[in-house]
Amino acid sequence: MDKITIITGTVGVDAHVIGTKIISRVLRDEGFNVVELGAQTPPEEFISAAQETAADAIFMSSLYGMAEMDLQGFKEKCLEAGLDDLLLYIGGILGVMRHDFNDDEEKFKKLGFDRVYPPETDVKVAIADLKNDLKVKGGKV
Amino acid sequence: MIKVKQTKIDEEKFMEMRKQTLALWPKASKEIDLDEAVAYQQSLPEDKSFVKVLQKYSAEGKMGLFPRQGTPIVENEIELLQSLNSVGVRLFPFTTDSYTRNLQLDKAQAGLEESIKTGKAKLNGYPLINHGVKTNRRVIESCAGAMDPRCSQKANSLVGEYAFASGMTAMPASFFGWIAGYDKKATVEECIDTAQYLGRLMGYYAEQGVIISSDLHGWLPNGVVPTYVNVATQIIEALTAAHQGCKSVHPQANFQGNYVQDIAEVRLFRKIFRKYLDKYGFQDVLIPGIIASQSPLYAFPQDVGTAYGYICYIANLAATAGVDACSVKTIDEAIGVPSIESHIQTYRAANWIFEVVRSQKIEVNNKDIDLEVAMAEKAIDAIMDKVYELGDGDITHGTIKAVATGVLDSPFSINIHAQDKVLGVRDLSGACRLIEFGNLPLPEDVKDFHREKVAAREKAEGRKMDYYVSIDDFWAISKGRLLGTRN
Ligand code: B12
Repeated sequence: MDKITIITGTVGVDAHVIGTKIISRVLRDEGFNVVELGAQTPPEEFISAAQETAADAIFMSSLYGMAEMDLQGFKEKCLEAGLDDLLLYIGGILGVMRHDFNDDEEKFKKLGFDRVYPPETDVKVAIADLKNDLKVKGGKV
Repeated sequence: MIKVKQTKIDEEKFMEMRKQTLALWPKASKEIDLDEAVAYQQSLPEDKSFVKVLQKYSAEGKMGLFPRQGTPIVENEIELLQSLNSVGVRLFPFTTDSYTRNLQLDKAQAGLEESIKTGKAKLNGYPLINHGVKTNRRVIESCAGAMDPRCSQKANSLVGEYAFASGMTAMPASFFGWIAGYDKKATVEECIDTAQYLGRLMGYYAEQGVIISSDLHGWLPNGVVPTYVNVATQIIEALTAAHQGCKSVHPQANFQGNYVQDIAEVRLFRKIFRKYLDKYGFQDVLIPGIIASQSPLYAFPQDVGTAYGYICYIANLAATAGVDACSVKTIDEAIGVPSIESHIQTYRAANWIFEVVRSQKIEVNNKDIDLEVAMAEKAIDAIMDKVYELGDGDITHGTIKAVATGVLDSPFSINIHAQDKVLGVRDLSGACRLIEFGNLPLPEDVKDFHREKVAAREKAEGRKMDYYVSIDDFWAISKGRLLGTRN
């Protein structure tokens, strides 16, 4: 059976690397194939990495509050690149200042993300979701 | 081939470099005239001088607050500064937004315009270049206190030019901060080169009698590690800036959360920076005071009660250790850029503690603190000796080689040139110990000290001290514990 491939990294010029390093390590230890792009990864680099590695999902992080600006048109670019089946998950701190997570969820779903996670979500939650989502799509697992 | 060297950049070459820097933004050369900027700085009152404000705290035995602040809309920024004034803040780090820090000035402009349009901050800081010198001066003049902007490697030289021309009087020439947490791809040499520019610019102002102080951040401890490498790299930053003519440095004690270890760190700071500056001929470089950074770079508690607990604990620690100012994060830290109200409530709590604890003038003396000081000094001396040896006496060369070989190293860093082979956990008392030494040139007795402490916890908990324990410990502090447990 093919290993599931997941791309990780923080988007834009977000420098917060600790979380995405930990996520990458946990995913690897859980048996996934991980493409670790690290911090400060431009949106386009996520797309080209997904194409090159035929990835199943992106676990994107953003802590610095400016992801919304970074990700305008991201889903459209994924579709243009033929990445129709690629699952898009995002987590971290998605807005600037104290705000309601429900607003983040709505915004990022509109931007084309399949799942949006509140601050400090355990990656294991997303791993369970991923297995489900892939099953629904009739893919690997 | 390494091109940088530690010696002072000569003036002609520096003026050439400045031209290139100012060419990065069309308005820069129109807005910034060095002679006019120096004259403006000379005209500013004493409370705008970072050195003077910090020295005053130190002389009076008081403690200043050093917040995180910076928001895009000018009126909101002024309101924020004045509100912070009302709770006694006189030292202001000035956070520039992440687009500015990475020289993406058109994005900073778009974010600024969007912020103004919606009335909400869409940038995570103040776009210091886009606002321009005139507006910056208006902002700085609107409140009492001295300013100290924050940046990353890419935009650092231009931000420095703008900052000093606008009346700011401190800034980090602190390239290890970038390696630890801000710049993914910049090489160590590029980072040093950029830091030297800032040091040289500070040197130029100093020659005209305007003393601008450099923050020292060092290789920020991103995880549960003792601060040996952090302190050694702060010393390296101090010496690098001093070679360029910078005349004042203020070190930052990065508290990791253990009383004994953190008090020991401040005690060591009182002598070790002076020791190294004097040793290399910089007796004339001032150390106006020591600032503690209240927050280890761990996740902060999400709920208000736990956040207060954490903040007050560190405020107490800072007051007991006797630092001159403390960077206190707010109850909103885990949530997002803090609001004015959360600043005010947080700082009232911190001020209460500073005042009450400091007024008692408690002398803390115990053997554990002495032992930590001795271990740290040995470790730092060994690291410094090795760096100088690698560089054949040139600190910049030594540093480049030391990072490449892991002689300088620290975990969870952003920069791809870091080795990331070092790891730590807490011992049973909550002090940070190394479980992976990587290639750090630590003396054998220091290593043994760490091994013993780690073994004791291993025995007490019946589990191996590994990566996952390190992560458990990393999260613990936000959950109201020092030692992580597996759940
Ligand atoms: C450490 C830290 C830094 C360090 C980073 C060091 C490094 N090497 O990464 C330094 C000092 C460099 C830094 C810099 C800055 N920071 Co900072 N930083 C933090 C801090 C204190 C902790 C972040 C952290 O590492 N958490 C621990 C890790 C393990 O958690 P994590 O990243 O959240 O990831 C975990 C989970 O969330 C989850 N997760 C994450 N992503 C995803 C994705 C998916 C799909 C899933 C399922 C799960 C998931 O799993 C991860 C592993 O467990 C936070 C505040 C806080 N949260 O406590 C501020 C914070 C994130 N920083 C902030 C800001 C603004 C900045 C600066 C602009 C400077 C400043 N303070 O003003 C610069 C920006 C630099 C840049 N270009 O981005 C703000 C963001 C504001 C906002 N969103 O409104 C915060 C919230 C502080 C604040 N309140 O102002 N920072």
